[in-house]
Amino acid sequence: MTTTSPSAPHTTEQRGVGAPRPPFDPEIAAVLQVLAGVMPSSLTADLIPVLRQPNPALPSITDEELGRGGTFTVSTRSVPGPAGAPDVEVIVCLPVGAAAPVAAVLHTHGGGMVIGDARTGLAEIMDWAAELQLAVVSVDYRLAPETPHPGPVEDCYAALLWTARNAAELGIDPDRIVVAGASAGGGLAAALALMARDRGDVALAGQLLIYPMLDDRNDTFSAHQMAGVGVWDQVSNDTGWTALLGADRGGPDVSPYAAPARATDLSGLPPAFVDVASTETFRDEDIAYATRIWQAGGIAELHVWPGGCHGFDTFAPGAGISQEARAARLRWLRRLLAP
Amino acid sequence: MNDLALRLAALDPEAGAAVRVVGHFDALLEARAGLQSIVRGAAALAGCPARLVDPARGLVVRVLPDGVVEAAGEHAVDPAWPSAEVAAPGVLLWLEQSGPAGTVQAVVLERAAAAARSVLQRTRSHAPVEDPASVELLVDAAAPEADRLAAARRLGVTATARVVALAGGRTLVVGADAVVTGGDRAGVGPAVAVAELPASGELARLALRLTAEGTAEDPGPRVVHADQLGSLSLLVRAADGRPVPDVQALAHAAATGPWVLATLDAVATSSSLRDAARTLHVHHSTLQDRLQHAEAALGWDVHSPAGRLRLQLALVLHRAGRSRP
Repeated sequence: MTTTSPSAPHTTEQRGVGAPRPPFDPEIAAVLQVLAGVMPSSLTADLIPVLRQPNPALPSITDEELGRGGTFTVSTRSVPGPAGAPDVEVIVCLPVGAAAPVAAVLHTHGGGMVIGDARTGLAEIMDWAAELQLAVVSVDYRLAPETPHPGPVEDCYAALLWTARNAAELGIDPDRIVVAGASAGGGLAAALALMARDRGDVALAGQLLIYPMLDDRNDTFSAHQMAGVGVWDQVSNDTGWTALLGADRGGPDVSPYAAPARATDLSGLPPAFVDVASTETFRDEDIAYATRIWQAGGIAELHVWPGGCHGFDTFAPGAGISQEARAARLRWLRRLLAP
Repeated sequence: MNDLALRLAALDPEAGAAVRVVGHFDALLEARAGLQSIVRGAAALAGCPARLVDPARGLVVRVLPDGVVEAAGEHAVDPAWPSAEVAAPGVLLWLEQSGPAGTVQAVVLERAAAAARSVLQRTRSHAPVEDPASVELLVDAAAPEADRLAAARRLGVTATARVVALAGGRTLVVGADAVVTGGDRAGVGPAVAVAELPASGELARLALRLTAEGTAEDPGPRVVHADQLGSLSLLVRAADGRPVPDVQALAHAAATGPWVLATLDAVATSSSLRDAARTLHVHHSTLQDRLQHAEAALGWDVHSPAGRLRLQLALVLHRAGRSRP
C-alpha cells in the first residue's frame, strides 16, 4: 500500500506552506484579535491610499511631545537630496545644554516602503535619546510606488551625509552615528550601513535593525508559514516590495541597497542589533542576516521574541515581551555608545 | 495596550467597547495567559493601576496602566476602590481609583476577575504535583516532622495548603485557595500549615466518606468540604462500628422503591418541597404521594424541622457507613 521514495523532491510543503506556526504570546494574541477587525493580515496595493489616511485613533506625535518638556529642540529642515533629486525633509531633535558632542541616531521610519513619515515610530527613538542624551535625525524619504528604488534609500543616504558633514554645527560626534529603523526602516538602515561601507563617506558606529524588511524574494520558510496570519504577511510583503521594485522584485538583478539580504559580502559592517518575532514573516530572513554577519566575522546581537507578531511592541507596548524587547534595544545602545 | 485602549475609545461607543473588553479577556484565556497578563489587561483597559491580592499565599500582582509591573510598596489597598472577588477566601482584584467604576471599568473588573479565577483553577487545582510517594509522606502522621517538611519542599508546598482525598484512593495536596470542582468524588480537608497536613488529610478522608455519586441510586454531593461539616465529623466518628437504627430504617425505606433515596435526599437538601420537586423533575403532587410512602417506610415525619434534621443525619451516616475507616 505504501511506497517510499528515497529522496523526496523539494516540495513547497517543506518551505513552510501550511506548517504549524509558533503560538502567539497570550497578550499579543488578545491585541491581534482587535487588530484583525481594523487591519487585514494581507495588504494589497489598492489599500495603500486607505492606509495613508490619518488614523484618528493613532495621532501623529507632535513637536511638543518630541521636545520632552523642553529638553530637546525640535526643527524640521530641508537638506540636499540625492543628485538630481529634490531636497529631503528631516526632523532634527537635539538635546538642550549638552556639554560635549553627543552620539546621534539617524532614523529611517517603517511602513512597508509605501506608508508612514518621519514621525512614524519616533516616540521610541526619543525614549532612547532622552535616556542616553542622543541627537535624532529622522528622514522623510519619498515613498514607493510613486518613488521606486533607489529614490527612497538615496534620500536616506543624503540625510546621513548631511548629518555627518554638519556634525559640528549640530553638536554631534561624527564617530558615534547609529542608523536605526523598524520594518522597512530596518531594511533602509541595513542598506545605509552597506552604502556607507562601500562609499566610504561615513564611518557608522552601529546599525539597530528592528524586525527589518530585508529580502524581496519573500520566499523563506517563515514567510510561507505565516501567510494570512498576524501582521504584514507574505501578501503584504509582496505589495511593499513590488511597489519599490516593480517587475524586478524577486528577479536576478535586485541591488543589495534595495534588499540587503541580496548582499553577497556582509564583512566590514558596523556592529548590528537585530530583533524579530518568532511568529512573523521576517523571522527567517532576519535570523539569516545576523548569522551571515557572524559568518563574515562581524559583530551582531540577535533577539528572537517568542510569540510576537510583526510590530508587536508598537501594537501592544505594555505587553510583557514588548517591554523586554524595547529594554533590550536600549541596553544594546547604552553598551555600544558607552565612552 | 495603550494602542488597544485608544482603539477601544475611538472606535466604539461604550456598549461596543464593553463587547471588545469581553473579547480581550476571552482571547487572553484562550491563549492560556498568566495572572500578570490578565492584571495588565485590566490596568490598560481601565486606565488605572490594577492589583490582584491573594492574602493566603502572600501574592500581590500590581500593574500600571502602561503595562509596567510595580511593587505595591507602602500603598495599602483602599477598601473604597472598586473590586471584584476572584476566589474565596478573600482573593480580590482591585482598580486603584477613588470613586465608583464607570460602565467599561465595571465590565473590565468583572471579566478580568473571571479570567483570573480560571487561571487559578487551572494552575492550582488541576495541576497538582505528581509525586505520590512524597504526598503520602506529607500526610502521614506517623512520619517524623523533618521528613514531612522535606517532602513539602520537594512538592513546592510552602504556604498553607489543604489535602484533597479522591475516590479511588488518590491524595492531592493543593494551595489553600484552590477550587475543587467536578471530576472525581472528593473530600477536601481544611487549609492548614504544612506541618499540620496529616490532620487535614484525616478530615479529607472523612469528608470523602460523605460524598456520593450524585445519581438517583446514590444521591448526594460529589465534593464535600471538611470545613463545612461542623459537628458532623464528631457524629460520624461516634457512629463508626455501631448499628444506627435510623440508618437501618433508611435502608429499609430505600429498598421499597428505586426513587425513595433520591426523593428523601432532595427533601433533606432543598429549601422547600417545591424546590425539591423541581430538582427531581416531578410534579408537586407526585412528590407529596411519594413522600407519604417514604415516611411510612421510614417511620417518621420528614416535614417538621426536627424530622428533617433526623433525616439529614441518617443520610450522612448512611453514606459514611458504606465505607468504614
